[in-house]
Amino acid sequence: MVAIVIATHGNLSEALIGTAKMIFGTMEHIAEVTFKPGEGIEHLLDKYQKASDGLGDDQVLFLVDLFGGSPYNAASRFVARKPSMDVVSGVNLPMLIEVLGKRLAGASLEELVQTATAAGTDGIKSFKDVFSHQKIANSAQEDEGDELG
Amino acid sequence: MNIKWLRIDSRLIHGQVANNWVNHVGAGTIIATNDSAAKDDLRKTLLLQVAPGRTKSYVMTVDKTARCYKNPTYKDLDVLMVVESPKDVLRLMDQGVDVTQVNVGGITFKEGMTLISEAVSVSREDVEAFKELDKRGIKLILQQLPNTQASDFMNRLKSKNLV
Repeated sequence: MVAIVIATHGNLSEALIGTAKMIFGTMEHIAEVTFKPGEGIEHLLDKYQKASDGLGDDQVLFLVDLFGGSPYNAASRFVARKPSMDVVSGVNLPMLIEVLGKRLAGASLEELVQTATAAGTDGIKSFKDVFSHQKIANSAQEDEGDELG
Repeated sequence: MNIKWLRIDSRLIHGQVANNWVNHVGAGTIIATNDSAAKDDLRKTLLLQVAPGRTKSYVMTVDKTARCYKNPTYKDLDVLMVVESPKDVLRLMDQGVDVTQVNVGGITFKEGMTLISEAVSVSREDVEAFKELDKRGIKLILQQLPNTQASDFMNRLKSKNLV
């Protein structure tokens, strides 16, 4: 199984995992790393090493908050020479939920990276925009016959 | 129509159903069977909006669901069906829909109901309907998510002295 490490500024990573549990239930092979004020890249590298050792998986996907931020920069350095690891930035709940689902279905690291980038952006929608492109249901018409709709 | 999974969930189609159960049971179609949602154009539109893009989704009344169930055009269709209450399961059965087991997933708490689990509350009316389902030999499974523990729902009602 591909291990997942969520790394963010502050406690977001812990909270994201807690929230994901509400939707996804129990999950394994996942760890959070927090980046606190006063810490530097070296602290993060150390935390990444401990997290990946603790998980014990060959393959690791890092989901980090900000592109170009310290959790991202440290993760990039951590995975640069490891073909079985990758980093995706912009972690959000839709991304995490999709990745967890695909991982459970046995997806490879490459597939999970694709899923993460797609789901991370697909989850962002304006209600009015979706609504204006959607056909409004017409129940009076549709409640007849024996055909789906 | 092949009902791969029949779930009681008062929120009908939402994140847990859309993301987890569809993948878990391997159904390409979600049918939310509920009279009031099917007759409420806005609610129906919103339910269809949250259904995942790759699945076909429908919001239909109990009567119409039963009619579609019997339509031979859909004999090979794998369906995840969601209803709001045990009473609607009985109504479906009374109209010829075959049911062998029901997943009790989520019933939102309202005044006067008894809390059964983190996600399920039951009214007196619900308990009567569950008793009838049990009498008809339907297996009732209490389970919120595919990867959370499943338990026997009637045992749970008994442990709460509701039956």
